[in-house]
Amino acid sequence: MRTRIAGALGLAAVLALAGCGSSGTGEGGGQNASSGGGAVTLKMVAADYGSDPNAENAGAKFWKGIVDEFQAANPNIKIDVQVINWNDIDKQVATMVQNGQPPDILQTGGYSGFVQDGLLHKVDEILSPNVQQDLLTKFADFGKVDGVAYGIPFVSSARGLFYNKELFDKAGIAEPPKTWDELKAAAEKLKKSGVSQPFGLPLGQEEAQGESFLWFLGAGGGYKDASGKWAINSPQNIEAFTFMKGLVDAGLTTPNPGTKDRKTVWEDFAAGKVGMVNGGPMSIPIFDEGSVKDKYGVAPIAGKTGALDTTLGVMDWIMAFNKNNHPAEIKKFFDFFYTGNAVQKIVDNYKLLPVTKGGIEKLSGDEKLKPFLDGLPNASFYPFTDPKWPAVQDTIKQTIGGAVEDPAKVLGELQKTAETG
Amino acid sequence: MRHRSRGLRALEPLAWVGPAIVLIALVVLWPVVEMIRSSFLKISKFGVVQGGNGTANYDRLFAEPDFASIMGRTLIWVVAVVGLTVIISLALAQLFNQRFPGRKIARWALIAPWAASVLMTAIIFRWMLDPEVGVINMIRRDLGFLDALGGASADPLGQSATAMPWLIFVAVFVSVPFTTYALIAGLSTIPGDIYEAARMDGASKMRIYWAITFPLLRPALTVAALINVMNVFNNFPIIWAMTRGQPGYSTSTSTIFMYILKNRDIGESAAMSVVNFGMVIILTVVFLKVTRWRSEVA
Repeated sequence: MRTRIAGALGLAAVLALAGCGSSGTGEGGGQNASSGGGAVTLKMVAADYGSDPNAENAGAKFWKGIVDEFQAANPNIKIDVQVINWNDIDKQVATMVQNGQPPDILQTGGYSGFVQDGLLHKVDEILSPNVQQDLLTKFADFGKVDGVAYGIPFVSSARGLFYNKELFDKAGIAEPPKTWDELKAAAEKLKKSGVSQPFGLPLGQEEAQGESFLWFLGAGGGYKDASGKWAINSPQNIEAFTFMKGLVDAGLTTPNPGTKDRKTVWEDFAAGKVGMVNGGPMSIPIFDEGSVKDKYGVAPIAGKTGALDTTLGVMDWIMAFNKNNHPAEIKKFFDFFYTGNAVQKIVDNYKLLPVTKGGIEKLSGDEKLKPFLDGLPNASFYPFTDPKWPAVQDTIKQTIGGAVEDPAKVLGELQKTAETG
Repeated sequence: MRHRSRGLRALEPLAWVGPAIVLIALVVLWPVVEMIRSSFLKISKFGVVQGGNGTANYDRLFAEPDFASIMGRTLIWVVAVVGLTVIISLALAQLFNQRFPGRKIARWALIAPWAASVLMTAIIFRWMLDPEVGVINMIRRDLGFLDALGGASADPLGQSATAMPWLIFVAVFVSVPFTTYALIAGLSTIPGDIYEAARMDGASKMRIYWAITFPLLRPALTVAALINVMNVFNNFPIIWAMTRGQPGYSTSTSTIFMYILKNRDIGESAAMSVVNFGMVIILTVVFLKVTRWRSEVA
């Protein structure tokens, strides 16, 4: 009996090995044919800016439109786009790179983690000089590591304070808060009028580093100090979280903020259950789908002593991996993308902001986006260019929510992680 | 000539066993070796090997402020889930072994949590526990256990003290069907004439259960519980979908922690995998020793 099973296993192994062999040669043949014929397939991975994968503005549909247009003009270049949602893209791309199969083009939230390993093309190799010059200088500068540009700013966003006008009226609040004191007073009024989450506070894994940064800025802090050293447990940052702790303890925020993702809190705002929440142009489509459509306003983010004159400029990046060595083809696609109307389509579809001088000019007439466009020139940024940032950010996402219970301890631990990690 | 053919004949079994050995080496041993090897390497976030790292990965892992509490929680998680699963399944198996109208339908219904994707089940439970729209919270409110939706009291998954019982509940919920079926199969192998003899001798129902049913059920119980120990220890989707191990790491088990570390430091994550692997083996050995596996099953 035993030998019979072993024999069967052996046969299965032989069959499996034979299968591998034949598929291997098939692939090799395909590769030869493609390089001989001059046609190149570029694999692209992009983040989904759409509100959900089946929606009209889904990333897959958006990219198909762009790629079809490009392929019609460049029949020798095929682009194979895989769209992945924001929650999973970092992990899936990391897995691809770990397996030695990076995409040729990647559009996502950061680039600096790949630079250290020498995985990326330099921007000079993949973008024409005139396109490079049209990029906003301040943004493009953040694409450089040690003076060499690797990341191309793709789109940007800015943040503002969204407030539910209907709930504000009901609670008797005349205008959106500018200072923390006003914010707390407004939250208390909202609570009294029966709002379950006066202030939406997402400090869960999805984007805790963004929400925290907005509060840091409000107290004059940030992730790094002016000299470029990590300052996560600076007195300003601790002050910010101490204030937030006061809000949480008084039941004026999303319950247990350290476990709540931004998406959930925005959906609650869209359902009319949240009085105020920090959001960006990208949250407009989500809110417009809910019951709060036309009932909300946008204001600059409240700070400790006054409304912020800066905002969190979150820019996303596009980059090219050098493994398959197709810089000429990638350059064609990037030039097409930045000089054509693709960026305009992103703004229309997703309410994201362009990062080219030309793009901003085209938008200057849009009243709804004006508060955000105004904030862009003076935007503050994450310490993207620090190679440690991705790992530090990951720890922040997991643990910073605990800082609303013990600000000094949790921020101190994060500071230690950043300094030693 | 003769000598050589005898040598060949001695090698003959290898031709049959060989492929199986190769297969095991390839799909079982090689990954284990690779895992242990990478736990001693310095690897970038994106998987590029940057050279040896000595025991630094382990030093960092053991120095993680949350490491001890995560390991303790993992142990509690396994013991609680497997213990509850076994107790509930023993009772259910006994029930489903009785003849009653609708037994067939009831047995089929029991399969449902097993047949449904674990990830889906976990997501549904998270949704039912949502502070604003969760149906469980609405029921609690309607029954008067909850003042209002949306607050901290309507958010059991937001605090580890209330999240862990829910996570354990869901894990038990998805483990019970398999365990119950394994035990029903065990029950059906017990010959009816033993029971008849016991009844003739006037044994009470409790006595019959503890003196006959339970001992004869032990092989099935041991195997079912052992499979559960390993499954629950390595369980990922329930906790990940419901809490992501948050707040902080306070609902993370070692498997969740390993996954979170993988995003940050693959070497350290590999070290966690090795520790995890060692712990599964230790748990299994202890379990088999305690249940005296050899005398029961083999």
